Amino acid sequence: MDNSFISRGIRRCSTPKFLAWLAPWAVLLGLGVFAIGLCLIKGLNQTNMDNRFAFGLWIFLDLTVIALGAGAFFTGFLLYILRREELRAVINSAVVIGFICYSGAVLILAVDVGQPLRAWFTFWHPNVHSMLTEVTFCITCYLGILAIEYAPIVLKNRQLRDVPSFLLFEHQLHKVMPLFAAVGTFLSFFHQGSLGGLYGVLQGRPFAFRDGFAIWPSTFFLFILSAIATGPAFVLLTTWMVSKISGKQLVRHSVFALLAQISGWLLIAYVGLKSLDTLVWLNVTAPRSGVSAIRFYGWQPFASWMLVVEIVVLGLLPALIFLSPSRRRSTPWLITASLLACGGVAVNRFVMTIQTLAVPTLRFEPFMLYFPSWQEIAAFVFVIAYGVILYSLSFRYLTLFPQERELQQQ
Amino acid sequence: MFPGIYDFHWDAGHIIFLGIFYTVLVIVVSTIAIAMRRAILDFRGERAEALRWHADFEDLPDRWRRCRHELTGEVASRVCPNAFDCRHCTEHPKFVAARTPSTLAATHGAVVAGFAVPADRLYHRGHTWVRQDDYGVLTIGLDDFGAHLLGTPDEIRLPRIGSHVVTNGTGWRAKKNGVAVRILAPIDGEVVDVGGPDKGWYLKVRPDNPPDTRHLLTVTEAKLWMLRELERLQTSVATEGVGAALADGGLPVENLSEAIPADRRDAVMGMMFLNA
Repeated sequence: MDNSFISRGIRRCSTPKFLAWLAPWAVLLGLGVFAIGLCLIKGLNQTNMDNRFAFGLWIFLDLTVIALGAGAFFTGFLLYILRREELRAVINSAVVIGFICYSGAVLILAVDVGQPLRAWFTFWHPNVHSMLTEVTFCITCYLGILAIEYAPIVLKNRQLRDVPSFLLFEHQLHKVMPLFAAVGTFLSFFHQGSLGGLYGVLQGRPFAFRDGFAIWPSTFFLFILSAIATGPAFVLLTTWMVSKISGKQLVRHSVFALLAQISGWLLIAYVGLKSLDTLVWLNVTAPRSGVSAIRFYGWQPFASWMLVVEIVVLGLLPALIFLSPSRRRSTPWLITASLLACGGVAVNRFVMTIQTLAVPTLRFEPFMLYFPSWQEIAAFVFVIAYGVILYSLSFRYLTLFPQERELQQQ
Repeated sequence: MFPGIYDFHWDAGHIIFLGIFYTVLVIVVSTIAIAMRRAILDFRGERAEALRWHADFEDLPDRWRRCRHELTGEVASRVCPNAFDCRHCTEHPKFVAARTPSTLAATHGAVVAGFAVPADRLYHRGHTWVRQDDYGVLTIGLDDFGAHLLGTPDEIRLPRIGSHVVTNGTGWRAKKNGVAVRILAPIDGEVVDVGGPDKGWYLKVRPDNPPDTRHLLTVTEAKLWMLRELERLQTSVATEGVGAALADGGLPVENLSEAIPADRRDAVMGMMFLNA
């Protein structure tokens, strides 16, 4: 039925089968729309957040998807700036994933601010000394860049490229893509960093507060490094998942191996610096603030095992797998390591967001418990469903993996 | 955000932060504007067809972009870097100069694997041919391989008389069994007449300048290329996991596309007519 929209030489499932795949996601999307509507109409009392626990599920997952979405800018940087041509095989998919991650995050933030009609205040009256202002500006600009990077992929659709003006604009956009990749790298570098920085400057929260360099706490650099380390792993993971679901080989294994190698080296650097940062915090920063850092790990369920899991199991272990040439030849090992690495960045963002707010700072404060309301969960399920639907449509009608056709015909 | 707006101060923080922001904004907006302007200029210059071919060619797998001199054995292995346009190739003249009188000497036509390859015309890699007619008019048609593959088209969209076709741009469009293909024009020129499958030719064009046909295959090259094309077709319709099977020696059927499995027809037709 829709074959004339599908790239030539690419096999896709039948239209009814595709619609059946989309149906449950559409239901979840509808549920999310309802929950978001409740939050927008009735206010943030629909959530379980309060003035004490102002960052909840939404911020934790926003930070996670933004870190995982770093695969878009970092792959673009490696391809267009460092000329790693092998990554052309996954750049389109990385851009679509990045666009989904960032647009989803911005959408949830619009609900999270409570009064989205006043969201423009942050642009019109910016507090230029706030890390959050930098994040707001950079994420908004970068979402625009991602939309521009997405445009030529859409314009290359089989039917759209028949329109001469679209074809010509796509061609010209393609020519200036290295510039957008550079601007995207610049913006991403700063907002990934500032997302970490905004925890690191919380002097009233010794669990998160860190020393640093110039105006930037160490978390600024660690967030950048963790994002660019896990971004390629997430591209690898999503490519493998799409390949399994569609039953098609989409890229050559050498592309997986390259992504794994890049991720591995960056992850090992991150683990080293994160360990050093933790030691400095335990022995210098926290004691200087008059608190014993180890006390923070006395609160169940966030005991010291979290630190071990985050750094060793979800950091060092995947890095070693990625860096082992024999393991890199094995797809199951690469997928295991990618899952661990992506889980690692999620745990890190969880620790920085939820654990920071949960553990008491003053002796008379209680340990805070928070569990998201169904509206919070449904709103985020909306983002997942939106992502799956947009990616599915892109995968069906656009060329996300240029090697697919050749691999299919071999 | 701007001077004069509440909370704006002329201090280092505002100047650096907003300065960087506006710089990024200017770069993004001006780059988009430049890209749009160039696209408009390309549109006015009617460069869409040429660009389309280059974009399509880029998307073709390497094994479909083999150099014509590989077909003739003049080079062991070479991927064409010039979108099958030997007029802009620096290597092509060297290969031609290196030919001895005995190399590629045959000038007579033949039937190759059941496909006629007449000697009175030149061949384009998109399965069209060009023949010089009287009064400087060139006739363009589908070669025998292309004609067998397409069979009797269900629908044909020929260009208007008076319009221009460009080399590797769309010559005409055809539809067969629901599969639409663009047949690539082998040469530049103004369309002076249109025919169709019943007449054995599709277009008559008057070249703007003396035609440069260096990118077209001679009959000797075409014979070798036809065998390669047959191999390409056989491989693409072979049962998965089996690969190309030896031909049974019979003659090709008239409507070859109908013999191609329906789910692969679109891909195979695109592959043979060089449509990405």
